[in-house]
Amino acid sequence: MTSLQDMEAALEAVLLVSSEPVPKDKLLQVFEDREQERAQEALRLVIERYRESLEHGFFLEEVAGGLRLVTRPDLHGYLRRFFEVSGHSKLSMAALETLAIIAYRQPITGPEIQELRGVSSSGVLKTLLEKRLIRITGRKQVVGKPFLYGTTREFLMHFGLQRLDELPPLDEFEEAFGFGESGESEV
Amino acid sequence: MTSEKQRTSLPQAWQVQLPVFEGPLDLLLHLVRINQVEITDIPVALICDQFYEYLGLMDELNLDVAGDYIYEAALLIQLKSQMLLPSRGGEGSEEELDPRHNLVHRLLEYQRIKNAAQTMAEVDSVRQGIWTRQPQSARELVSVPHQEVELSEVSLFDLLRSLKEVLGRYDHEHPDPLRLSGERFSVRDQFERLLGVLSAGRPYDFLEDLRGRSGRAEVVAAFLALLELARLSLVRMHQTGEGELLLYRTTREVEQHELEAVPA
Repeated sequence: MTSLQDMEAALEAVLLVSSEPVPKDKLLQVFEDREQERAQEALRLVIERYRESLEHGFFLEEVAGGLRLVTRPDLHGYLRRFFEVSGHSKLSMAALETLAIIAYRQPITGPEIQELRGVSSSGVLKTLLEKRLIRITGRKQVVGKPFLYGTTREFLMHFGLQRLDELPPLDEFEEAFGFGESGESEV
Repeated sequence: MTSEKQRTSLPQAWQVQLPVFEGPLDLLLHLVRINQVEITDIPVALICDQFYEYLGLMDELNLDVAGDYIYEAALLIQLKSQMLLPSRGGEGSEEELDPRHNLVHRLLEYQRIKNAAQTMAEVDSVRQGIWTRQPQSARELVSVPHQEVELSEVSLFDLLRSLKEVLGRYDHEHPDPLRLSGERFSVRDQFERLLGVLSAGRPYDFLEDLRGRSGRAEVVAAFLALLELARLSLVRMHQTGEGELLLYRTTREVEQHELEAVPA
């Protein structure tokens, strides 16, 4: 029987070398079936130990349906200096608008995005595809068969989401600004 | 629509700084905000005029007035003229026929998107600071065939990128074949060359000479040159029992006009 301590150590080891978020059930597969109960306890302890804190430079993040070790965001200055990284790859407002439309209205076509934003978005779409934040999910069966776009797992990881439904509902924004879908009641 | 009379020109302060807008809808929202009007009750004439003023401003600053703005401006003008027409519907259906409905709907939707985008921008800027283990180093650690690729995450774009890589590698490993421009051999060159190698009284093996030519084209040129030399009685030809073709230079000198008559 593996001891609880060894289990925790094993989980730490797997998480350390994994670059992708590892789903919990996959993580527990390294232990035998009869040990599963204790394994779950070990995982709970590991998650607890590596929650984001001021004690460590990294923490265990639950994202895109899995667990992964990431660095604390406030330390990026040191990392950039050490790895001699310059320049920011922050997303432009145009990219974020397009991404928001896709995230909330997927699957959606390029022309539909253009209608919503009022400007052509083809350049931005290309950038988002390159960054792998969106992907082509198919083609809409209308004239011209335009591509349909949707978000990727990368998107979840980038924005720290477990699932798409963790996105704050769009209607909340609407309420925050105090007007409804159509203005009839206010006229 | 009482507010339309308030002011039709842009506030002075606004003309000083020119915010960057993400598009015509962004500009429209901005105009709604600075005029402090309800998005659901837009004074079309006022907004339309200010929209045009902004386009003029962009023009003055030599910014490209994108087609998207011009398209939106055209829609606004159409809307403005529709607003001037008396409503055709009965009194009860007046609201449903509000020509602004579509614009209001688009602005509200855009407003929501914009707010969502702003929230995402905040998340983005924080999470840009998060670093993770690089996939490569994990692969180096494990020598077994690398981790399963999640099929659902391989997009058409990934495939295209892979294809591009493969094609790039192929091109690198298969450089274009060395292209030689077709060499041209002139009969006159061969004529002169043969005259140069022939010396009086010494037989010259023509077949051996042809073997030294670079290819069919030069052989043909050399052969034609030989015919020319023979026609001008500059060489005599003998064929031996073994099939050798021997050339003998005659004593006759080549004349300049004869040389020039040989096709170059």
